[in-house]
Amino acid sequence: MSTHTLEDNHKIILGDQEILKSDLLTLNMGPQHPATHGVLRVEIKTDSEIVVDAIPHLGYLHRCFEKHCENLDFRQVIPFVDRMDYLAAMNMELGYALAVEKMLGTEVPARAQYIRVIVSELQRIASHLMFFGTYAIDLGAFSPFLYAFQDREDILRLFEELSGARLLYNYIWIGGVWNDITDAQLNRTKTFLDTFEESLKKYHSLVGENQIFIGRTANVGVISKENAFAYGVTGPVLRGSGVKWDLRKDRPYSIYEKFEFNIPVGVGEKGTVGDCWDRYHVRVLEMFESIKIVRQCLDGIEAGPIIGKVPKIIKVPAGEIYLRTECPRGELGYHLISDGGKKPYRLKVKSSCFTHISALPAIAPGQMIADLVATIGSIDIVLGEVDR
Amino acid sequence: MQTIQLKKPVTPDLTFTQWFKNVYNGVRTTVIGMGITFKYVWDVKPVTIEYPEVREELPENSRSRLFNDAQNCISCLQCAAVCPVDCIYIASVKRPADAEKIKTKDGTAIRLDLKQYTIDTALCCYCGLCTTVCPTECLTHTTDYEFSSYTLSAMKYDYLAPDIRAWRTRLVKD
Repeated sequence: MSTHTLEDNHKIILGDQEILKSDLLTLNMGPQHPATHGVLRVEIKTDSEIVVDAIPHLGYLHRCFEKHCENLDFRQVIPFVDRMDYLAAMNMELGYALAVEKMLGTEVPARAQYIRVIVSELQRIASHLMFFGTYAIDLGAFSPFLYAFQDREDILRLFEELSGARLLYNYIWIGGVWNDITDAQLNRTKTFLDTFEESLKKYHSLVGENQIFIGRTANVGVISKENAFAYGVTGPVLRGSGVKWDLRKDRPYSIYEKFEFNIPVGVGEKGTVGDCWDRYHVRVLEMFESIKIVRQCLDGIEAGPIIGKVPKIIKVPAGEIYLRTECPRGELGYHLISDGGKKPYRLKVKSSCFTHISALPAIAPGQMIADLVATIGSIDIVLGEVDR
Repeated sequence: MQTIQLKKPVTPDLTFTQWFKNVYNGVRTTVIGMGITFKYVWDVKPVTIEYPEVREELPENSRSRLFNDAQNCISCLQCAAVCPVDCIYIASVKRPADAEKIKTKDGTAIRLDLKQYTIDTALCCYCGLCTTVCPTECLTHTTDYEFSSYTLSAMKYDYLAPDIRAWRTRLVKD
């Protein structure tokens, strides 16, 4: 993973001056470090305060998901899919359900399509709020976390009423959704969006415009456009580097082609293009775009059935598919191979968090340790998805 | 001798005016931030509850503790088959032909005598698939969420045991 090995005799040059004063210190950040959001261990080699090398060690949360799916039928996979990115479980389910439906050739009713978009966009807001809160905690601000969780609670409450669970929903089923959404819940969503839009502006001026926050994040952890392409990063990290690419717009899936929304990109407003502040700002702007999409959904939703015709025992015809969707953390791809049986022959998941964490050895060297914390926070990984 | 070249992080040039600008912005944005947080001193109703005294009412279809009403169970094994973690253990024997004909609440004839119905709640992932396939709707998720226990074996619920059947009056609404 690392690009170079360090031996006894070495010379470290930062910019144009030699910096090594003493021996290199190897430091383990994690697996229980509060800034790593889960169990990630980053082995860093430091010269005084400057990171020379950072190697992420994965696998602490490995659950053998892909192999396990080969022993489950197509409906039973959904609860396990939830557990990959547990902060955005709806988006994980949506991708899997779309992949199986495409192979089955199932028609999904219009109402179910709208409900799916509503829940997955609300989930995107909830997931970005989680990022917003924990990122502020990483950088030493506590109260934004409480504000973010207060609004996230409203979304989770709606999901709890819809599906019965707060985090691992098993709500989006193959062919539709589990439970119908009532008019009262739709109205509540509408009022929530109105209040949330106001408070999000307030939160952004509290955190994003703060000079200390800008000082900690601007010009830190810069991922250039070339590096972003080289490492294959996707989602808000790619858009933060100034690339206008969003699967919802460029390769529409589900019914996303019906909605009007913009793709926010990082422009280097406070520093360089692709720094931590840009990635933060892209996520905040994305929340506003999600609000727009949910509003259009609430206008367009119509009465009808919520689940299409699906056989009781799902037998997917032999073949394979690669389907990718835009999740809060980036592109999620499902490579599903079926041999015509009741169980998937192979289910490979391309997770965005894995590619993002593999870009860390390229961005980390040359930074201070405290900036490394800001960098890891800003790429917003969930270890459940990295390790699977 | 090995040479490692590290890229220096970009730092903008700090001019005299920029220094004053930074100080001004620091003060200004802090005042804005403090203004936002200060509003929360009054005029905001509390969002947290004091847990042991005040308990949260979960929504009707909340997926918490499982309860099987064993009288209405027809031992069809559908819940055990659909369970992704295989935590439902069912044993039943054929009902003798000369025995009294009994029916469930919704009128399905019971042809098998249930001998064991155990759910290992420690393994359960609360996905809710077993409750959706149940034909007589005897297996349900209840809204009871306080059931931690000291031992793992206490998490195995035998729904034919009298103490666990006694939950019925507390958990299941008819």
